[in-house]
Amino acid sequence: MVSGSYSGPTRAAAGVFQENGIPYISAYGVHPDITRAGDYVFSTSFVGEVQGRAGAKLVGENVGAKRVSIISINNDFGQSLVAGFKEAAAQFGIEIVNEYYYGMADRQFGSIVAGIRRDAPDAIYATGYFFTGGPLVSQLRSAGVTATIVGTEGFDSQNFIDIAKQAAEGVIITTSLDRGTENPVMRAFIDDFEKKAGFPADMVAATTHTAVLVAADAITRAGSVDHAAIRDALAATKDLQVSTGVLTFNSLGEIYHEIGAQIVKDGAFTHYATIDDPVLLAPPTE
Amino acid sequence: MFHLELLTVGLIQGAMYAMMALGLTLIYGLLRILHIAHAALFTLGAYAGVLAANAGLGLLPAAIVAVAIGGIAGPLVYVAIYRPLLDKPPYVALIASIGLLIALEDGFRLVFGPYGLSFDNNPWFITGWMIGGIYLNAVQAAIAVTAILSIAAFTWFARRTRAGVAWRATVTDPAMARTFGVEPDRVRIMSFAIASMLAAVAGVLIGLLNNLVEPTMGSIIAYKGLAIIVLGGLGNVPGTLVAALLLGVAESFGQTYLDQVLDRDAIAFLVLIVVLMVRPQGLFGKAG
Repeated sequence: MVSGSYSGPTRAAAGVFQENGIPYISAYGVHPDITRAGDYVFSTSFVGEVQGRAGAKLVGENVGAKRVSIISINNDFGQSLVAGFKEAAAQFGIEIVNEYYYGMADRQFGSIVAGIRRDAPDAIYATGYFFTGGPLVSQLRSAGVTATIVGTEGFDSQNFIDIAKQAAEGVIITTSLDRGTENPVMRAFIDDFEKKAGFPADMVAATTHTAVLVAADAITRAGSVDHAAIRDALAATKDLQVSTGVLTFNSLGEIYHEIGAQIVKDGAFTHYATIDDPVLLAPPTE
Repeated sequence: MFHLELLTVGLIQGAMYAMMALGLTLIYGLLRILHIAHAALFTLGAYAGVLAANAGLGLLPAAIVAVAIGGIAGPLVYVAIYRPLLDKPPYVALIASIGLLIALEDGFRLVFGPYGLSFDNNPWFITGWMIGGIYLNAVQAAIAVTAILSIAAFTWFARRTRAGVAWRATVTDPAMARTFGVEPDRVRIMSFAIASMLAAVAGVLIGLLNNLVEPTMGSIIAYKGLAIIVLGGLGNVPGTLVAALLLGVAESFGQTYLDQVLDRDAIAFLVLIVVLMVRPQGLFGKAG
């Protein structure tokens, strides 16, 4: 079973699949408790804390910003990203000036924008989804906020750019999908997806495609559809070339993955940097 | 200065709530119906606005198109949904209204897609002014101006025109109004038209402010509108306007100082609970 859903429902379902001995792959849930449901549960995306730590490195080293305000959606996705970011912030010389939280249904951020204008940070670390991030970035830029905005994989959608339009230019995100890759498998996925769908691939497409490839590979190697055999094959997945990179599961069913940073340029996401730090980005193992 | 900016943001948000809640309280005052589907007319207005603007009309003509569509759709809702239920208990109309909101939201999703639509060109959003250290963009200014003008126009209409007098007479005593030649059904149709035009223009302006029009953009406003009219004292127009502004300001400060413990959208209900514990009739309603 491949789960293409956020952490909340994925966590709830993981226990059910574990209990019934059915292999379960979370495509893009970020909560570490998903794989802790048991040995039948795997994740093909990095947990939120790992991406948050990568965000801190990106902001502190690549962007060179030291005074940072955080704007985060107040669900488990946002909280895990912020936890990782704050954990690593000091390591990269980042001072967190202020933190703001908003709900899933929020689209008007007037009071947060006022707070950011007061903070005058070098950069803003923002979590959320394209439907919150688009209005948020628009409203920040409209109010004259020029700080670098560093978002996360929730913004990784052409819809984000379509909503924010010019305001999206220069926004940097951490994500699983590297549009600038020279890797032939990843390149083929990006090109084929756009050819077939008529719009560019995004993180959700890439991680879900990856999860399906992982499942197919495990079934092939297991040589049967027996659940236990497929689980064993999944656990033994090593250096598998997929649409988000090269994938190996650790003992918890998590992956190590370099994290790509993309920047919006001329109305499209393009490669900005690659964060590759095995210590900083180490996934949980238990 | 920061607090003054929060106050400004809150008053503008409150002005938008006021345009929505005024329509709700008009309809409640007239029919004793909690018109939840009012929020769907807000969304309809936003879609009409974004589609008209993206078809090449300017923002102002697009807003006028949206208001016209709201003015037609509101009476249709009354005629098709509420009028056949007027002799039924009020909860029947309430259930029908909730059903209509859900159906229209799904209709918007099916017709226009789940991801929402943005304005291709939104010059009001990127035009702004720094006034005394407070930043205001043209959409925010338009919300404030539209709310003031529409409420002033409604007040003039209600107090100075024959139709307004007929409306007030029907609210007070429909049977007596009928003996004076007022046709209550026409007054109801007119009220739905006015309320829905206000909702439509609020929808366009919020679509411009968010730069996003979504199928479910009315969901939150639907229950906040109810909270506002209860806070203001059901059917009390001035009370509704004050409650709307108070809620906008409470949310603005709440999102800044309570954001780690309380969702902004929960503030409406926190305020509602506290006020109802102290004044069960609402802030401006009459006891009993």
